[in-house]
Amino acid sequence: MIVCENLSKSYRVGHGRKHVLCDVNLQISKSDKIAFLGRNGAGKSTLIRLLGGVEMPTSGIIRRSMSVSWPLGFNGGFQGSLTGYDNARFIARIYNKPYQYVREFVEEFTELGRQLAMPVKTYSSGMRARLAFALSLAIEFDCYLIDEIILVGDAQFRAKCQYELFDKRGDRGFVLASHDMGIIREFCNRAVIVGGQNAIVTDDVEGAVAHYERS
Amino acid sequence: MKSSTFSRFCEGLHTQRRVIHALIIRELITRFGRENIGFLWMMVEPLLFASLVSIMWRIIHGPQEHGVSIAAFVVTGYIPLTLFRHVVNRSVAIFQANSSLLYHRQIQILDFVIARFVIEMLGSMMAFLLVAVLLIAFDLFPIPADPGMMIAGWLIYCLFCFSLCLVIAPLSEMSEVLEKFIPVTTYIMIPVSGTFSMVSWLTPAFRHVMLWSPFVSGVEMMRGGIWGNRVTVYYEVWYPIALSMVLSFIGLALIRYVRRSLVVE
Repeated sequence: MIVCENLSKSYRVGHGRKHVLCDVNLQISKSDKIAFLGRNGAGKSTLIRLLGGVEMPTSGIIRRSMSVSWPLGFNGGFQGSLTGYDNARFIARIYNKPYQYVREFVEEFTELGRQLAMPVKTYSSGMRARLAFALSLAIEFDCYLIDEIILVGDAQFRAKCQYELFDKRGDRGFVLASHDMGIIREFCNRAVIVGGQNAIVTDDVEGAVAHYERS
Repeated sequence: MKSSTFSRFCEGLHTQRRVIHALIIRELITRFGRENIGFLWMMVEPLLFASLVSIMWRIIHGPQEHGVSIAAFVVTGYIPLTLFRHVVNRSVAIFQANSSLLYHRQIQILDFVIARFVIEMLGSMMAFLLVAVLLIAFDLFPIPADPGMMIAGWLIYCLFCFSLCLVIAPLSEMSEVLEKFIPVTTYIMIPVSGTFSMVSWLTPAFRHVMLWSPFVSGVEMMRGGIWGNRVTVYYEVWYPIALSMVLSFIGLALIRYVRRSLVVE
């Protein structure tokens, strides 16, 4: 369960403040599969970062009573100057998992081969996505925060991600920020429309997608 | 209830220990790499500084000054000074530089400061040990008369440096002006760092003033532990500790405040 109460986030811009989210109330249960819908800049990523504890809300509280992954996105979570293996070792250490297991999982899942021994900054965004996703699956979380990342990469990798996350770990929850309505329709059971500094929850995914596509 | 709070606290400590361990190794790899001597580079700079400056002083001032070996005197002053300058410089903008790691919730920004400090402290200690052993072999360094006192002085010096880091790290995040002033401030502080002088060389009125600097107490204790009765040392024990505690408290509060508004890319 993740409970957000009266969440607000604003950033200092010059002398003023830019309010991104205002008084957001949100509950995510253990097996919820939630889609975050909203235009670019609406605050989807900000909300995901708050849920993941990367940034702190300006006001309001977030309570987490399940394990939540770090936000899986194109950047963050990695040290660019370290190799894929070193990053895996770092993550295995801080999440208290045996490195041997994490390493084997990452090798098998990412299929990056010798690239894993190269610094992460030399990776393409697709390769980073593979690594980030593999690591988070190796650690095992109750709830995955996914910021678009699943949608990069080739068809085969997408199929692999979908199998690992939606089939094999069907009991887990996830939050998925995406512009791909096909995936959202297929896999999500709730939707959150983010926009206008607010986030509105609905169980009607079809209706939310229709609303988003109209706007 | 009480025991569950305690067990959660213990669990937190374990997590933090793991995180700091991981951060230290990560920092060693990014800074020094795996080639040639690898992480042993961390002691090279203090080592070079201490040995080259002591050779220079040895040539300029002769073998002894105020009754102590000049090489050993310079080493005992320079190793703490390089620690101080390094940890302070490395605390500047430390949160922004590491912000991509904040994606992992168990990493606290305080851990960055601790990890870097531990690396510098270990590097200085290794350098000190190596130089001391070498100099002892050439009979230029006395065998410490009171090792406990020497270590206590070193720890007090480190404690004060650490509390300074705790304050400087968040302040550098709040104001970029600070960054410009740090190099000159660390330079100006050299006369009150106890590096090149001992309190007993001064007039009694000045001695009092010098002891306002916690660095001086730390270095004096180290030298007192090394030379024993051959030098007269003046130091305070509780004043540097108390001052460090106050600074740490302010620093921790500032870190907490800065974390709330930290923007992660």
